[in-house]
Amino acid sequence: MTEVPAAVALHGVKKAFPLGNGRSLDVLNIEHWSLPAGRCTVLTGPSGSGKTTLLNLIAGVSLPTAGTIAVHDTNISALPEPRRDRFRAQHIGYVFQTFNLLSAFTALENVMLSMMFAGAIPKPEQRRRAAEILARLGLGARLTHKPQQLSRGEQQRIAIARALANHPPLILADEPCASLDAGTAREVLHELLSVCREAGTTLLVVSHETAVLAAGDQVVDVTAINRPEYRVGAVERV
Amino acid sequence: MTVLTVALKYLRGRFVASALTSLSVALGVSLVIASGLLSRGIKQGFIEGTTDYSLLVGAKGSPTQLVLNVVFRMDVPTPNISYGTYRDLQDDPRVEVAVPVAMGDAFQGYRYVATTGGYFAALPWRRKTFAISQGRFFRDDPPEQPAYEAVLGADVARRTGLRVGDRFHEGEEMAEYPLTVVGILRSTDSADDRAIFISLASYWQMNEVSRKMQVKPLTAVLVRPKRMSDLAGLHRGFNVTAETQAVFPSAVLLNIFNVLSLVDEVLALLLVIVAIVVLLYLFVSMYSATLERKREIATMRALGARRATILGIVLLESCALAVIGGALGVAGGHGVAYLGASMLGGRGGPVANLFVVGALEPVVFGGAVALGALAGLLPAVLAYRTEVAENLAPLS
Repeated sequence: MTEVPAAVALHGVKKAFPLGNGRSLDVLNIEHWSLPAGRCTVLTGPSGSGKTTLLNLIAGVSLPTAGTIAVHDTNISALPEPRRDRFRAQHIGYVFQTFNLLSAFTALENVMLSMMFAGAIPKPEQRRRAAEILARLGLGARLTHKPQQLSRGEQQRIAIARALANHPPLILADEPCASLDAGTAREVLHELLSVCREAGTTLLVVSHETAVLAAGDQVVDVTAINRPEYRVGAVERV
Repeated sequence: MTVLTVALKYLRGRFVASALTSLSVALGVSLVIASGLLSRGIKQGFIEGTTDYSLLVGAKGSPTQLVLNVVFRMDVPTPNISYGTYRDLQDDPRVEVAVPVAMGDAFQGYRYVATTGGYFAALPWRRKTFAISQGRFFRDDPPEQPAYEAVLGADVARRTGLRVGDRFHEGEEMAEYPLTVVGILRSTDSADDRAIFISLASYWQMNEVSRKMQVKPLTAVLVRPKRMSDLAGLHRGFNVTAETQAVFPSAVLLNIFNVLSLVDEVLALLLVIVAIVVLLYLFVSMYSATLERKREIATMRALGARRATILGIVLLESCALAVIGGALGVAGGHGVAYLGASMLGGRGGPVANLFVVGALEPVVFGGAVALGALAGLLPAVLAYRTEVAENLAPLS
């Protein structure tokens, strides 16, 4: 059996939130964990166990209290913030539970925005590529619609198109089907998985839903990778 | 997509709020522009409309009233002086030119100015030139044979519709002695555009018919000395008598400007308050817009937008509102100033051409954009400091 290279590797990662008065809320303490490249990993665990916090750490939107997080061999937590932002834009796609589309922009513009932030795609190419991705996800007739004019399923497809726009090697999805009805959730999940598998993109999905758990290449319970004392949830320390 | 297009899209996304904010900036800017233009126009109007005679001799009283009435056709006429005063000046060896002026009644609000042909004379030292656009000047008729001829200022002709050959009169008692339009003057950009010029003989005869006046009064005499060194002597000579006064129109103009500068100072204070109100309105608008979309800002940051990009978007939004409002305000200010000038001009106020673009417009426009940047600064910093993780959470 050949060993799959790691898309993400965590070493001695700790995350604590200060509560004031010298107290802190310790959420994560992961000695070592890696995410296999090109696979779909489903991250599960009880509420408050640190799933979203872990996703935010890997995306570099928040920094660990200690430890290193390497995304495709780049220690993202050690990068200065502007470079971390640029790295995230170019290498990581993010899909949110509530889509987080920008209401003032059309479907096409929402997708083009992530290309603008990445700055890696020439401007004339951005429109063509955004239209192509949206068409691939069945939204070719919805390019000029604003999010509020679309169904929830269509909105999540735009969010997926936005995450895919820069061809990132890693996509993080935080409960992508939680705001959708069962039928739409199945369709959206299917599309997300198929585009990621086709492009060989690493996918890390946070979810509790059985359909998602069943579709992943591996399921990881966050409590299993956290140190034993954290497995029952966040720990408040003085 | 660029940072600017993102900023403009956001403004379009909240169209009503953006339009109202821009409108408030436009109102503030138009107020500044209109008051600046009118203030400049009135001063310029006084300068352009002043007489090029050095001395004005009239009845004892207010020097300002004498100049305002005789030169700018404002205020009420001063009491009369005798024709003898004019004859004395004519005979005075120090005087080069003396022109008698008598202010009469009015036709449709345009005052009769009785004088001689000397009033229109082109002399080497005169800035002001009179030219006839239609017809001719009236004749200097002898007192016993008034010709009842009238020369109309350009505004009078335009607004009354009178043309050369037309006859007109004001009041029933003058119906038998109507004035005949013999000429229309080219515009002089002064109060003379709003005057009806007649001969002294016609004026005196009209007074005799309508008021049964037997005397031949004048309101003032415009004087130009042969040597400027004689001015002080002439001035003193007329001021020591009980009946007459001599005034320097330029000195009166300075007094008027001093009063206007006080008005300007009060106006400047009001405009500062207006600028502060506009600044606050712009700030509140941008601040609430930024608070409302902290989640969208966090989303953009999660998609890879740098803090500086977010700062730029918010600042550009604020500046764009100021630019739109500033441009509308400059245009609107000119419109308001034009209306104000028309109203003032209609009442005989001296207002020069307002549509000469000077430093005012670029300075006010630049100031508005600077205010926009200032108002957007704190909201932009707020957006810059938005914490991504804590603002990404799903809305409850």
